[in-house]
Amino acid sequence: MAVESTFGQPSPLLERAAVEARYHNVDALYEETRDMRLFGFILFLLADCVLFSSFIFAYLFLRASAPTWPPVVNGTQIGRLDVAFGALNSIVLFGSGVTMHFALESWKNLKTRAFNVWIVTTTLLGIAFLLGQAHEYTSAPAGLTWSGNAFGATYFTLTGLHGFHVFAGVCYLIVLTIQANRGVYTGSKYFGLTAGTLYWHFVDVIWVLLFVLFYLW
Amino acid sequence: MSVTAHPIDLHEAHDHIHPAPQGFIAKYVFSIDHKVIAMQYFVTGLLFMLVGGSFAELIRLQLWNPKGTFMEYHTYNQMFTMHGTVMVWLVLIPLVTGSLGNLIMPLQIGARDVAFPWLNMLSFWLIPVSGLILFSSFFVGAPSSGWTEYPPISIQQGPGGALWSLSIIVVGISSTLTGLNFIVTIFKMRAPGMTWTRMPLFTWATFSTAILNLFATVALSAALLALFFAQVFDVPFFDAARGGSPLLYEHMFWFYSHPAVYIFILPAFGVISEILPTFARKTIFGYKMIAFSSLAIAVLGFTVWAHHMFPSGIAPWLQIPFMVLTYLIGIPTGIKIFSWMATLWGGRIQFTTPMLYATAFIGTFSFGGITGIYLACVPVDLHEHGSYFVVGHFHYVVAGGAVAAFFAGLYYWFPKATGRLLNERLGKLGFWLFFIGLTGTFLPMHWLGLEGMPRRYASYETFAKAFPDAVFWNRFESVFSFFMVASVGLIAFNIFTAIRSGRKAGNNPWGARTLEWMISSPPPYYNFKKIPIVLDRPYDFTAPLPYLNLDEEPDPYPVPSEAVLERPRVAVPVGA
Amino acid sequence: MARVAPSAPQIIATKGIGPGFVPFTIVLTIINVAIALAVIYLPLNFLLPQESNPASDSAVGIDALFKFMTVFGSAITIYVSGYTAYFAWVFRRRPDEAINTVGVPIHDAPKLEFWWTLLPTVLLVVLMAFTIVVWKQINFPTSAAALTMEVVAHQFNFEFRYPGLSGSLYSPQGEMHLPAGKPIKILISSGDVIHQFWVPEFRLKAAAVPGLVTELNVTPTHNGRYDIVCSEYCGVNHSIMQAQLVVEPPDKFDAWLSHERVAVAATAGQVQLAGGDAGAGKTTFTAKCSACHNAAGSYDQKIVGPGLNHLTDDPAHPKLVNGDDPSPENIAMLLVKGYQGPIGVMPNRQANGLSDADIANLVAYLISLK
Repeated sequence: MAVESTFGQPSPLLERAAVEARYHNVDALYEETRDMRLFGFILFLLADCVLFSSFIFAYLFLRASAPTWPPVVNGTQIGRLDVAFGALNSIVLFGSGVTMHFALESWKNLKTRAFNVWIVTTTLLGIAFLLGQAHEYTSAPAGLTWSGNAFGATYFTLTGLHGFHVFAGVCYLIVLTIQANRGVYTGSKYFGLTAGTLYWHFVDVIWVLLFVLFYLW
Repeated sequence: MSVTAHPIDLHEAHDHIHPAPQGFIAKYVFSIDHKVIAMQYFVTGLLFMLVGGSFAELIRLQLWNPKGTFMEYHTYNQMFTMHGTVMVWLVLIPLVTGSLGNLIMPLQIGARDVAFPWLNMLSFWLIPVSGLILFSSFFVGAPSSGWTEYPPISIQQGPGGALWSLSIIVVGISSTLTGLNFIVTIFKMRAPGMTWTRMPLFTWATFSTAILNLFATVALSAALLALFFAQVFDVPFFDAARGGSPLLYEHMFWFYSHPAVYIFILPAFGVISEILPTFARKTIFGYKMIAFSSLAIAVLGFTVWAHHMFPSGIAPWLQIPFMVLTYLIGIPTGIKIFSWMATLWGGRIQFTTPMLYATAFIGTFSFGGITGIYLACVPVDLHEHGSYFVVGHFHYVVAGGAVAAFFAGLYYWFPKATGRLLNERLGKLGFWLFFIGLTGTFLPMHWLGLEGMPRRYASYETFAKAFPDAVFWNRFESVFSFFMVASVGLIAFNIFTAIRSGRKAGNNPWGARTLEWMISSPPPYYNFKKIPIVLDRPYDFTAPLPYLNLDEEPDPYPVPSEAVLERPRVAVPVGA
Repeated sequence: MARVAPSAPQIIATKGIGPGFVPFTIVLTIINVAIALAVIYLPLNFLLPQESNPASDSAVGIDALFKFMTVFGSAITIYVSGYTAYFAWVFRRRPDEAINTVGVPIHDAPKLEFWWTLLPTVLLVVLMAFTIVVWKQINFPTSAAALTMEVVAHQFNFEFRYPGLSGSLYSPQGEMHLPAGKPIKILISSGDVIHQFWVPEFRLKAAAVPGLVTELNVTPTHNGRYDIVCSEYCGVNHSIMQAQLVVEPPDKFDAWLSHERVAVAATAGQVQLAGGDAGAGKTTFTAKCSACHNAAGSYDQKIVGPGLNHLTDDPAHPKLVNGDDPSPENIAMLLVKGYQGPIGVMPNRQANGLSDADIANLVAYLISLK
């Protein structure tokens, strides 16, 4: 690309790209769009953090202004959530974060079979987490309903929002698996997988917060 | 001219020119071209402005009579609710950020489009969808609890409330995506050599606004999602009987809605910072302070929300930090105002229509800002909250600030977008009508509020008994509100006639220096055939243009064109 | 017109700040001083509510703050607008001016910028200090309250509760009275949606929030009759939700309160229950009570208040909520007086608009729920 420049200095990016192209088949054009898309995706995740933070603020506000917690409904105090089951479900989700990490590493090292094993495991663990959440919802302590009181309102809304994010993530993982196996991604062009991994870790981090706030506190 | 030896970052990706869009749908309906999207935002925003303005005039007709017999109370309550909702979310945000930001920012940074053009198109189309949802509420009973829609009344009021929540969540998504898009664009797609401190000030303003758009709007979506759940599924976030709190909504709502007003005004500040140097023919004063104060206002804007809640039941000790921070926001704002005045000093000012709007803005916005200080003062706010003083204040900063600056930007950049000049005489007449109307409508409101007239009152009989002049002043305001209607009508007429038979503008009718004026009017779909190289800030009128690699070689010292001056050019050589 | 060759810009210099700058500044300053003197020394009757202006101890501090801000605010507005207009005029382009003239190329002026940042900051800090002083005086009264009363806002009237009053007074028939010169604590809440209690002459308002009790401390300083206005949108009749406040000398206030105590007590036990019709009572119940009470549900099946099935014969709840036996007379008394429960307020007969016949019918209906 010729540019009339009084400076005559080559772009450091192009220079590095030219060197890397000889060894890693790096595409400078791709690198720049990936750069933008990664930045945009991180901004999206930060905005998603604000979404969860707003509802977490609501939970903290209502909990701080409640006379007792869990609240008393019709004379009886709502029971606490099942910490053991919640911890088990958390381990399932964190495990899926570990497997997703290995999936991305396998892909980067061009180990396709290992990648498939890891990403399918991640997907299954994600689905297991959702099933666990469904069990939590159906066996919630008496009085803990979405419209019953502030505890139910915040618990079901926050975990529901999180569950919705996990569900969307599971769908995305399925799409990524299909795309990867169709050859859309190569050893040097795999932005979708990076984004998927980041998203999945984000979902994990949010769950840490929710587990601490609702189960442990 | 300072030549610095920055290594030039050649953005290969953005040097790529995609093929031209084909067919009517791809060119004008589902277009990914930021300029077409800007036009779509503009048309939509203007249409909603006419609708929102009509609601305002119905309000003013109701207030002609203290008994309030023109409309039923319930209808009136829907009118002020829909007026506020439409103006805030379907007019100000699409017009100021969506149309001006989309049209000009990519051109100013020498880019061919924004970072994510498809996302940009989605952002636009969410606006008509949101409008559809909002106006469908008229079939079931439009929302009637004010543009703030506090629960419990907004839950009690009927199904219109849930449609309101849904529609504003949709417009919030549009806003958030635009913020994301603009941040990435400004970070990653600036022309080679355009460092942060060589960026035009409108781009700085757009960037600061985009930060708010991205992070604050999500908080609104959360608040309204909670409200929607409360309205439709009886989820008791805000029901005290079940452990909820109405105050929670106020916190969640205002955490967005205060930054929202900076979303309106920061791009407006950017417009003023572009127009003043061009028509004063001298550099902007205090470039760095103006640029950084935009960022400071954006960040500080997140910290002051509870000044909307001083008498609402928050703990008294909380009032103090919010009061302090709100006062402090006055400082970067004041710096801008003084810098603009210093830009006018020593200039060779030509009062075209955009310059008239921009100069008047300095006065009206300062006044609105000062009344904001009154409201930030907790003890005085205990009197003024919920009164017409507040209504006067925010209309001064929104109508006399954001809208006035938008009109300035409209007159300034219309020639770039369409290749035609708007009629100056009509423009000047519209300007005077607008500001006379603004003063007549909103200045007396401060006094009425101090005297005790509450806002959102369909009838003010009790107040009129205590303060008989109220009837005269309300009628006074109603009469002058029609001046503003006339002004907007003139603008619409001006646009229609100019598009068909306005004088040709050429590349740079105003003799300005930012990159958008270096290409044709209207620009080709790809904006720049060759990505320009930027060597310095654009505003130094004593230096030649600091660009290399431009498609067309312009005069190194641009001057206003004949069409603008309405008289022949006379260039007197130096030393003659 | 032939294309003219580009030529370098001509800088038009300026001597000093501008012609006539000093006289103009003197004129602006004289105007500002005149405004300041007017604001400080003239009564602000033309600007603030006229009746006994100001009418509370807090209002004095608030008006002083208001005047302080007006002195400086109007000065800033006049200087900013004035100098903007001045620069616009003095530095206008002349009609015969060459096209390539440009203005003075000044980018910054550090000393000027320093002062125009520092001075507003200092002014704001002074304002902060003044604000905090007045704020403390409003929120932390120096003497204990001589009277604590309650205001409960409803759609669309105000309920006033006084110590020793067995019932409440309701606007518009009932008025709120306060003794002049005594520190008063007003506890404010709402029975339904958010309202706001505002007396413009006091310069004070406080929100009435359901589930929350807000506090207004005031010492009224002038006798008179004032409007209480609702200033937070609360529904269709928000604009006609006002009440009357009477501030009077303490002895007259005491007399008024004693009179009200007798009057309210007198109306309490006088409802005739014979001839109550359960059918009509059911209609009244559906219209006025079913929003909060479930007639078919047992006690625990709450909507807002308890379910009322088996009101008179529920072994799990043998007494009424106020501890009385569930006799027809006691049920009638609850309907007359209303009840302040842990989660909400049951309106009394005036708020619900219940006539004697309505109460008789309702009692007949309620005791039939077996």
